Amino acid sequence: MRWAGSSSTPSLKGVKLVRTFGDGTTRRAALQVVDIDLFPGQLALLMGPSGSGKSTLLAVLSGLLQPDSGQVLADDDGTLRDVWALTDKEREQYRRKHAGFIFQGYNLFPALTARQQLEIVLKWGEGAGPAAAKTRADEMLDKLGLAKNRHKKPAQLSGGEKQRVAIGRALVKNPSFMFADEPTSALDWENGQKVIELLRDAAHQRGASVLCVSHDHRLLPFVDVYYHLDDGRLERRALPSE
Amino acid sequence: MSYALQTLWHERARYASGVLAVTFSAVLIALQCGLMLGLFKITSIPIDNTTADIWVGSTAVPSVDLGKPIPMSYLSRVQGTPGVTSVEPYIANFANFTRASGGTELCFLLAGQIDHGSAGAAVPLSREQLDALTLPNSIIVDESDLKRLGLDGGEGKAKINGKDVKLVGTVKGLKSLAAPWVFCSLHTARHLLGFLLPPDHVTYLLARCESPARAKEVVAELKERHAGDMGAYTAEEFSTGSRLYWLLRTKAGIAIGYAALLGLVVGSVITAQTLYSATAANAKEFAILLALGIPRWRISLMVLMQSFWVGIVGIVLSYPACLALKAAARQVGADVDLRWEVLAGTAVVTVGMALVSGLFALRSVRQIEPMTLLR
Repeated sequence: MRWAGSSSTPSLKGVKLVRTFGDGTTRRAALQVVDIDLFPGQLALLMGPSGSGKSTLLAVLSGLLQPDSGQVLADDDGTLRDVWALTDKEREQYRRKHAGFIFQGYNLFPALTARQQLEIVLKWGEGAGPAAAKTRADEMLDKLGLAKNRHKKPAQLSGGEKQRVAIGRALVKNPSFMFADEPTSALDWENGQKVIELLRDAAHQRGASVLCVSHDHRLLPFVDVYYHLDDGRLERRALPSE
Repeated sequence: MSYALQTLWHERARYASGVLAVTFSAVLIALQCGLMLGLFKITSIPIDNTTADIWVGSTAVPSVDLGKPIPMSYLSRVQGTPGVTSVEPYIANFANFTRASGGTELCFLLAGQIDHGSAGAAVPLSREQLDALTLPNSIIVDESDLKRLGLDGGEGKAKINGKDVKLVGTVKGLKSLAAPWVFCSLHTARHLLGFLLPPDHVTYLLARCESPARAKEVVAELKERHAGDMGAYTAEEFSTGSRLYWLLRTKAGIAIGYAALLGLVVGSVITAQTLYSATAANAKEFAILLALGIPRWRISLMVLMQSFWVGIVGIVLSYPACLALKAAARQVGADVDLRWEVLAGTAVVTVGMALVSGLFALRSVRQIEPMTLLR
């Protein structure tokens, strides 16, 4: 089922984003006046060579790294708000309410079970009660095909299963935006394919705006839009199917 | 089970050094305090080994060995107080002991009525020993003091204040700290002390009451009526007072305090370092939570909970260690008094120490940044 919401209005807009690193002779522009629109229900892939500024753009758009100039306008219950005009506390609230993250490393707590990895986000983030957190965590794990792995700790899971738990942790709070940084690069293609399908489902079925940073060209057939970033300059490119 | 406790158990090898540091601190503090209390119990032996409810002596006696003579006439004052069932005289005074082989030693005479069951008869003395003390100038000492007093065989006669004395028995468990305790009859004590104790004077009057609760009321009444020339103390308060006096007077508490403080400092440094590195090891997992918008204080709270549990586990482990060391100390004749106040105080101080260590470890939480997760 494809998400039926409107996709004509972007839910996240990067406007004239500039970000540099270093000083003087070591000064390097990671983003040189980048504009980008992300839409609800859309899986966007961001590719580019190493050091091209992909992760910087993801960090700026997700509210983790402040740009030198430009705006990040995010849909907050129907209103576009500049993420970088918010206070630190408001930005933390914005991320808590709207943002999900997946990274190359699974970064799961070694001591906690799959269910607890998800519950902790709901309990600590939303103040969900134990029963509600458990139910929602289990529902998410079931959807990710991890029903049998609820009680397993990371050491008992395969790489693909771990990444699916990490996806579950990002999705369990039903975020409007999903940011994935090289989510498949530590996985074989079979597991990588499952991961990109799950990200596509998050966009198409849940209506999330998903931005995935990757080097892997095999992901292209699964995405809705493809951006290429090189030397801090962003370019939208046609998909092979277009 | 809380996430903090679960993490502690899962990564027990990582947290072991912190837990052991808490255990070490707790054992050190409890044993130091226990040893000190055990040692200073010696100063209240005359009180703890008699059966009086109330000790009446001169005003403001800080310790049982520092009472000044009081007139025997006070006996009727005490006897006439409602709630008192019996009163008897007691003499407690320093004297010079001359060994048979020569050389002198300061000793402390303890003399009560030697009827079996009287308030002043030292509990460890048997009926036969009490009977033996009726012989003029007969004395009984603790067997640990025999050698010190030259009473372990040999020729010649021992003297107290220049008068011959005869050993008629020994007891166990009434060790002395400075001057050996010498038990004798009131008659013998008067003879040996001579002019050192004015006629018709004693050091204390020992009273028994209808009940221990009544004793407190009697003491209050005696204090109120005769505050100017007479002091009255319940056996319990006099015992505690004597121990505290010598504890503070000798500054032993300071030495113990330093040792305990050292234990705390070492323990807290190791615990803080353990928690710091354990938190740093989970930095990426915590960073994810921060990225997801979970407030930093939740993570700080988890680290503090971990430090709390490190403290609790350390305390639990220290208890059997303390009991084992207490038993070992008893083997070499040292008394470790692990009363509940010592154990509770140790628990509070060491768990507090673990929490403070947790606060220091929080600087690793402050260093966590979600940006470090991006490649």
